[in-house]
Amino acid sequence: MRRSKSSLLAVAVSIGLAASACSSTKHTTDKSGGTGGTSASSAGGSSSTGTAKAYKQGGTLTISNEQGQTWPCAFNPFNASNNVEANGFIYEPLVYVNTLQNAKETPMLASGYQWNADKTQITFTVRDGVKWSDGQPLTADDVAFTFNLMKQTPSTDLYTLWSGAGLTDVKATGNQVTLTFKQNAQVYFYQFANLVTIVPKHIWSTGDAAAHPDTWPNEHPVGSGPYTVNCSPNNMDYKANPNYWQPGKPYVTTVEYPAYLDNQPANQDLASGKAQWGSQFITGIKPFYLNKSQDNHTWSPPVLNVALVPNLDPSHKATSQLGVRQALAYAIDKAKVSAIGEDGQQPPANQSGIVTPTFEKYNDAAAVSAAGYDKPDLDKAKAALASAGYSPANPLNLTVIAVQGYTDWDASIAVIKDELKGIGINLTASSLTMQTYDDKLYKGDYDLAYVGQPAGGPTPYYELREWLHSANTAPIGQSASAGNFERYQNKDVDKLLDSYATASDTDQVSIIKQIEGYLIKDVPIIPVTESVDWFQYNTKDFGGWPTQDNPYAQPAAFNFPDNEQVLLNLYYKPAQQ
Amino acid sequence: MRYLLRRVGFFLLTLWAALTLNFFLPHFMPGSPINSLRAATRGRVPDAELEKILASYGFKPNANIFSQYLDYLGKMLTGDFGVSTGGSSLGQPVSKLIGQSLPWTLGLVGVTTVLAFILGSLVGTVAAWRRGGVVDSVLPSVFVVTSALPYFVVGLFLILFFAIDNTWLPSSFNYDNTIVPGFSPGFIGSVMQHAVLPAATLLITSIGGWVLTMRNNMITTLAEDYIRMGRAKGLSDRRVMYNYAARNAFLPNLSGFAMSIGFVLTGAILVERIFNYPGLGYQLYNAVNSIDYPMMQALFLLFTVAVLGAILVCDLLTVWLDPRTRAEG
Repeated sequence: MRRSKSSLLAVAVSIGLAASACSSTKHTTDKSGGTGGTSASSAGGSSSTGTAKAYKQGGTLTISNEQGQTWPCAFNPFNASNNVEANGFIYEPLVYVNTLQNAKETPMLASGYQWNADKTQITFTVRDGVKWSDGQPLTADDVAFTFNLMKQTPSTDLYTLWSGAGLTDVKATGNQVTLTFKQNAQVYFYQFANLVTIVPKHIWSTGDAAAHPDTWPNEHPVGSGPYTVNCSPNNMDYKANPNYWQPGKPYVTTVEYPAYLDNQPANQDLASGKAQWGSQFITGIKPFYLNKSQDNHTWSPPVLNVALVPNLDPSHKATSQLGVRQALAYAIDKAKVSAIGEDGQQPPANQSGIVTPTFEKYNDAAAVSAAGYDKPDLDKAKAALASAGYSPANPLNLTVIAVQGYTDWDASIAVIKDELKGIGINLTASSLTMQTYDDKLYKGDYDLAYVGQPAGGPTPYYELREWLHSANTAPIGQSASAGNFERYQNKDVDKLLDSYATASDTDQVSIIKQIEGYLIKDVPIIPVTESVDWFQYNTKDFGGWPTQDNPYAQPAAFNFPDNEQVLLNLYYKPAQQ
Repeated sequence: MRYLLRRVGFFLLTLWAALTLNFFLPHFMPGSPINSLRAATRGRVPDAELEKILASYGFKPNANIFSQYLDYLGKMLTGDFGVSTGGSSLGQPVSKLIGQSLPWTLGLVGVTTVLAFILGSLVGTVAAWRRGGVVDSVLPSVFVVTSALPYFVVGLFLILFFAIDNTWLPSSFNYDNTIVPGFSPGFIGSVMQHAVLPAATLLITSIGGWVLTMRNNMITTLAEDYIRMGRAKGLSDRRVMYNYAARNAFLPNLSGFAMSIGFVLTGAILVERIFNYPGLGYQLYNAVNSIDYPMMQALFLLFTVAVLGAILVCDLLTVWLDPRTRAEG
């Protein structure tokens, strides 16, 4: 049993020697030879995003976006829970639609398209010369196969094109693919052209992929996009696809996407410059991030509303009265909530329900100020509350539900609570776990809820339809998860929303403005702030980022297919000399 | 022999009861996997479609709960754990997810438990031997305090001091994710570095228990006649302390240790959560948050079997070590 100290030491030393002799530590950011100066062909006439200048390739970019889990290393674009890791990097849509530039379109895998007169049929021309990353050509057959796969296996039809949008037939002829719908399908263009990504038929029509296209893990994806991937649970390593159809692109040869389980380390890597592309909320962004380096920037464009949602069902006596809702809308100082609660990073919202400046042309600012909702007005709030029978002497007690751990929401609600106290409303905040919160919100078991509408589209129509159309609601006790949590029902608004699909562009703006009138008149929801695409970027080594002046794509790394546009525009500065 | 059969029978009965609880308790939780999947898809996919997706991964919310239960029992017995239905791990085989995180938990919590046990027993032995000495008057009282501190308080203080006020040590994750995993000094060093704070948290909070029980056992043992006999024979202090006293005082601690090994898998949920350490505890936290039934069921099964197995082994060890238990059976 006895062992002298010296022999133990010898063992320890020999282990150390063996370890160091075995291999040297490899870092993902190590530069392998030859990434410096591959010259990009400047003859690439197909530069899709309008940047005329071609750049040389090189560089390693690191994305810092907290996911709360290690990477699954599965790249099935039909797996709704993690296809953001495949789409944009590996798989591409037919046409990219930019929400931030009035639905401006950029042809991707389709070089063009043609609607028929009543917009029930659309014919895409599939781009020539596109190759999959295994070298096989991409054809119209692949496109038709992708859409027909969704018909065959309904659980891959993520955007319910066959079951909801009325798609009836998809056919390929030559280099063209024709989609036929039951009715005018204009409003679904965003989904089928922009969100659906195209998969290769020669991979997906055989073996496990063909048997279970919905659950197949697809660990070694073959796509047409700008990158290919090597994955470990702690890091995804994207390499430039040499077969990519836009010559010379992508300019950045390697993209690292490490897994972060928490905001704090993710933010720390951004602040230190270890990661250059950030996509989550940073508390106190000025001292923590912006002041650390003059190369650190942030620009978070607003896309959706965060609103105080009253329960409109008559069983909720207070909040179903217009006076109470008006009082809430008049009393809340949205600018103050934005400044204190959201650290100034989410702009104040409009009672018209239009997110500005993103959708400025739809916003009826005159109507908002005519109704007095452009700035807080405590006198009007008191008068409105009095009409419902409440006053500071006879205060109204309300509880607002929110999600536990959303510290910015807690701070915002605290500001709102202060403002409401003056007019005679005692607000109590109730922070619930995500699951309980969702349950109460969808089933209508609340008086007030603090809600961020999760998804929209390239015009305000998509978000307003979710909030207001009676088809998206349900009786109290049943799940209304489609967006009309407040249980708003108004036949006139339904009619307006339904007429939008077939209207001309100018008529669409006027339809939206009429709907805004109802938001101002009925106050079904009280938009407080505008939720944004979190975006932080470092310009020391990388250029070509989307900015306020050139918002060519939604900038958060988790937004597909916008992420592809960003990836195609970024370039590595040191390689340009 | 009858005693042994009774122990094994008891083990099986407890296992069944635990399995049943493991099935029904998660199903009584509020919420649904659909909610977490909706969040993972950022609301772009309608609910009806989410249900179809979950169904294709084997999720059957509308099936009869008892047929689900029987189905579940069969699957647990055959070791078919299915695929995860939670949030962003949808479609990952549960066994693969567990396989990824098990080594990290075993490495971190297992090593720390053994270390705490050995160090604690040593300190306890020395403290009792030199009763009233420096070691005895300082350490046990310090450890009474540290063992009463909750994991998360210690963890947060360590992070505050070592990772935020001074950036000496990383406070999150299992290794620097810019390093490509492999048998290289940088990788191993990084793993060690990332393990320091969570391991310290576990050590600080668990060592006290071992110190105190060992010390008290030692004191009782030291009063025995055979110790006095050893001394009278003129044996060295060291020999009496380790071979006569500690060896006997050690027995109760050993059975406690067997049990704590069983709890290795379960005991570190808070620590793994605080340090974002991707082990089993972290997986359980995620699974509960996203109502991931298959993942929860597999993890609970693992935890139950580990604890029950350790107790069974402990029982068997006692039978082997202590003749009195055999006589009673």
